[in-house]
Amino acid sequence: MANMLKPTSAFSHLDPLSTPSLSVAPREDLTMASFAAGKDQVQAVMATIKSAYGVDLPRRPARVSGKGIAFVWAGPDQWLAVAERGANRDMERELKSLLSAMASVVDQSDGRVVVRVSGPLSRQVLAKGIPIDLHPRAFGANAAAITHASHIGVIMWQLEDASTFELAMFRSYADSFAHWLIETAEATLPATA
Amino acid sequence: MRIACPYCGERSLDEFIYSGDATVRRPDASAPTASEDYVKYVYERTNPPGMHRELWYHAAGCHAWLVVSRDISTHAISSVELAKDVALANNQAMKESA
Repeated sequence: MANMLKPTSAFSHLDPLSTPSLSVAPREDLTMASFAAGKDQVQAVMATIKSAYGVDLPRRPARVSGKGIAFVWAGPDQWLAVAERGANRDMERELKSLLSAMASVVDQSDGRVVVRVSGPLSRQVLAKGIPIDLHPRAFGANAAAITHASHIGVIMWQLEDASTFELAMFRSYADSFAHWLIETAEATLPATA
Repeated sequence: MRIACPYCGERSLDEFIYSGDATVRRPDASAPTASEDYVKYVYERTNPPGMHRELWYHAAGCHAWLVVSRDISTHAISSVELAKDVALANNQAMKESA
């Protein structure tokens, strides 16, 4: 029976867009888990993550990346761990074995979906539906924010690359978000091409 | 109106939910006057113009509860504190006065 179950993309109606000025692509290959430090456990959680992955967890909206893993601030004393699924990597299992005594770890691999928006026009397209300041002065490499995009709650972050963004949202909003993003991209592209 | 969340920075009003007066304290439910105390606690507000201390919840952001000091006549915000810090300070003050 198990081989009858096939994973289905949440972005089944999103045609990946790839132009010199803008690319939009779902990231289907991620394993994610959110974790929240228990009472008075923040320092212990930070020390454990530091020794396991060599990174300092941010206490303010930001992203940090280590070898094959990134952590995004997801609220006070909360983070989202993101990694490539690769050879059956399971972020929830991995973090639970490290943090079980000091944090609540919840799998987000299927509950949330991530889309990557990149290219020189990405900032301009995203700014049409996101109410925060996306100017590089305010939102630069490894910046992160929890906000909404076209009224859909997102956690978003910028990669080290100046024009590459990733947005994570609840899976059931994927189609609605993709609809907005593609409409906005199409409205932006010809005018500035 | 924009509120400067201590975590997220300045954000638009539509990310927040207003959650009432931040100065009322839940009365003692075992007091003989509990019934009247709770009516006052839940319903009675004088609502004067000028400075209010209000609870706001950053619902579309980091989910922090905030205590915002705001002049309701001008919308000028003079301070935004984490409700957690305010509650801890209140508890500490109550302990010291006890």
